Amino acid sequence: MTHQAQPTALSYREALFKAMHDAMALPNTLVFGQGVNDHKGIFGTTTGLGEKFGKNRMIEVPLAEEGVTGICIGAALNGAYPINIHIRADFVLLAMNQIINLAAKYKYMFGGLFDVPMLVRLVIGRSWGQGAQHSQSLQSLFAHIPGLRVIMPASSGAIVDSYAHAVQHHRGPVISLEHRLMYDLTFERDHEPTVLGKTPFSQRRVRKGNDVTVVSTSIMSLEARRAADWLADRGVSCDVIDLHCVSHIDANVIMESVGRTGRLLVADTSWQPYGVGAEICRIVCERDPGALKAPVVTLGMAAAPCPTAKSLEDIYYPNLTTLTDSIAKLVRGKADHGIELPHERSMADVYKRFKGPF
Amino acid sequence: MANTHNERLKRLIYQTLLIRRIEERVIELYPSDKIQSPVHLSIGQEPVAVGLCEPMTARDVLFTTYRGHAYYVAKGGKLPELMAELYGRKGGVSGGKAGSMHLAAPEVGMMGSSAVVASTIPHAVGAALAAKVRGDKQAIITIFGDGAIEEGVYHESLNFASLHKLPVLFVCENNALAVHTPLRERQAFDIVTHAKAYNINTTVIEDGNDLIKIADTSAKLLESLRSGGGPEWLMIKTYRYKEHVGPGDDFDSGYRSRAEMEKWLATDPLYRWADLVKEMEADVKSEIDRAVAFAEASPAPGLADLLTDVE
Ligand SMILES: Cc1ncc(C[n+]2csc(CCOP(=O)(O)OP(=O)(O)O)c2C)c(N)n1
Ligand SMILES: [Mg+2]
Repeated sequence: MTHQAQPTALSYREALFKAMHDAMALPNTLVFGQGVNDHKGIFGTTTGLGEKFGKNRMIEVPLAEEGVTGICIGAALNGAYPINIHIRADFVLLAMNQIINLAAKYKYMFGGLFDVPMLVRLVIGRSWGQGAQHSQSLQSLFAHIPGLRVIMPASSGAIVDSYAHAVQHHRGPVISLEHRLMYDLTFERDHEPTVLGKTPFSQRRVRKGNDVTVVSTSIMSLEARRAADWLADRGVSCDVIDLHCVSHIDANVIMESVGRTGRLLVADTSWQPYGVGAEICRIVCERDPGALKAPVVTLGMAAAPCPTAKSLEDIYYPNLTTLTDSIAKLVRGKADHGIELPHERSMADVYKRFKGPF
Repeated sequence: MANTHNERLKRLIYQTLLIRRIEERVIELYPSDKIQSPVHLSIGQEPVAVGLCEPMTARDVLFTTYRGHAYYVAKGGKLPELMAELYGRKGGVSGGKAGSMHLAAPEVGMMGSSAVVASTIPHAVGAALAAKVRGDKQAIITIFGDGAIEEGVYHESLNFASLHKLPVLFVCENNALAVHTPLRERQAFDIVTHAKAYNINTTVIEDGNDLIKIADTSAKLLESLRSGGGPEWLMIKTYRYKEHVGPGDDFDSGYRSRAEMEKWLATDPLYRWADLVKEMEADVKSEIDRAVAFAEASPAPGLADLLTDVE
C-alpha cells in the first residue's frame, strides 16, 4: 500500500467502506449480512459492492445467524475469507455456539490441522432509545475465549489497517466491535494514535503524559482524548492508551505507563464485572501492584440493562464530565480537586449527528 | 347510511382508526425529538392486529414483536401509558425503560415485546405448556413476521408445540419484507407447506385488510385451542406502508414501488368505511390528545430509577 495514495482524512464509515472494498477486491472474499445489498448497505459500508464485485460474493442472507456463522466457518475451512456482518452486536448472540464452540476451537481442538480465517463485524448501538437489546457492548464475552481475536477500532486508521491485516495476514477468527456513534466522525491521518507494537492489532497511544494512565476502549478512547486535552490545559497530564485489541493486551505497554504515572483509570464501553477494567487490574496486580500510588478507578455502563429513556441513558454511560472528574479526583487524591470541569452531560448529543431512528 | 353498519364493524373500525392515528401522531411528533426511540410503525398492518385481538380476552396471552404499537392498543393497553413510554417518561408502562420496541401490558395479556427477531416465539410455546399443565383454558398467541420464519428457533418451537399438542396460535404477519429484502430473496421453501410438515393445521388469509374475516378466523382458531385441539398456524398477508423503522416513506429507495401500496389502499378499511371514519375522528383525536398530554406532563425518570428492577 502506498502512503501517498491514502486520503488525509476519512470518516469511520468511509474507512469501513474502503476496508470492505479492498477485501472484496480479493477473489476469495465473501461478505455475508442481512441488508448488504439493499440501498442502505449496512450504514453505507457495503453500498454498491454487490454490483461491482458480484452478489455471489456479497451475499444477502436470511435471518439465520447461527446457520450463517456456521456457513462462514465452512467457507473459511475451504479456501474463502468470510466477513459476517451484524448491524447490532446483540444479534450475534444467536450465533455464539458456532463462534465459541466451533470457530474459536477449530485450530486447537484438531492440533493445528485447520485455520478458520474470518472476520465478524459487530456494531455497538447507542442513543436514540436503542434500549436493552440494541446497545450491548459484548467484548468481554468474546475476549474471555481463547482462540478469538477481539478488536474495537477507535479510528478510521484502526479500521483500514486492522481489517486489511485480518483479511490478508491473520489466520484465525477476528471479532470486531464497531461503534455506531463513530460512523460519522472524521479522523485525520496525522492525528491517528501511535501503534505500540508490530501489527495493526497492537495497542495504541492516544496521548503521552505522566500523571495518570488512562486505558480505554472504542469510543471511550475518544472521550479520554477529549478529557486529556481539557485537563492538559489545567495542569494534569494523561497517558492515554487505546487498547484496540482487548483480547491480546501487551502487558509491557500497560506496565511501562503505570510505572511512570503510578495511577490507573480504565474507561470501557461495557459493564464492569469481569470486564476490561478487571482484566487490566489483573495485568497490573500480577506484575507490580506496588507501582500504583492510588486505588484503580474503572468506568463503564451502570450495572443494569440499557434503559431506553434518554434521561436514563445519559446517566447510564459515563460522559466527558464524569470521566474528567474521575481523572481529576484520582490525580489530586480528593473529591474537591478544584479543577474546573467541562459541562457535558450527554455524550450522545455530542457524537450524535446520529439522530435515529436506528 | 351509518345506521346500517353494525356495532361490531364500528368497534373494529374504531380500533383500526385509533391505531392509525396514533402512529400518525408519532410521525408528527418525531421531528420534535420528544420520541427518541426507533419506531417500527404498523401503518397498513393495523387490521391484522385489530381482527386477531377481537375474540381474545384479557386472560389470553399474546407475544409480539418490536412492531408492537398496534397489538398494544388492540389488546387493550392504556393509551396514556403507551404515549408516556414512547416519550421515555416515568408514567410510561415500563417507566421509560422499554420505549417503542419493548411494549407490554400484562394486565390485558400482552407480554413483553422483543427487538430480537423470533425470540418470543418459544415464550408462547412455554406459556401454552404452562396453561395446559395448569388446566387453564387460556389461548396463547404469538405474532411474528415472515422474516422470523427463517430463524431456527421458529422451527424448534413449531415442533415442540405440535409434539405436545399445545394451545398456541402461531400467526405470521406476512408483509413479504424483512427490512428491505423481499421474501423471494430469502426463502427457498413455501411457508405454509413447511408449517404443515409439523402436523399443524394451517390457515391463510390473503387479504390482511379484511377485518371481519380475520376476526372470525381468529375466533374459530382460539376456540379450537381452548377445546384442546392442539396448535394452529395462521398466515395473514399484509402490507407495511412506511419504512421498516422510522417515521418516513421509502418508495423512492428502489426496493418497492408505490403502486404496490396503492393496491392495498384499495381495500384499506379506513378508506372503504370512510363515512364511519369521519364520524369517529373527533373521538379518536381527543383520546390521543389526552394520551399525549399525559405523556407531556409525566416527569423524566432519573438517578433513583436507574438501578431499580435489575434483579
Ligand atoms: C436476530 C435478529 N437478527 C436481525 C435483526 C435485525 N432486524 C430487525 S427487524 C428485521 C426484519 C424482520 O422481518 P419480519 O420478521 O418479516 O418482520 P417485519 O419487520 O416485516 O414486521 C431484521 C432483520 C434482529 N432484530 N434480530
Ligand atoms: Mg416482514
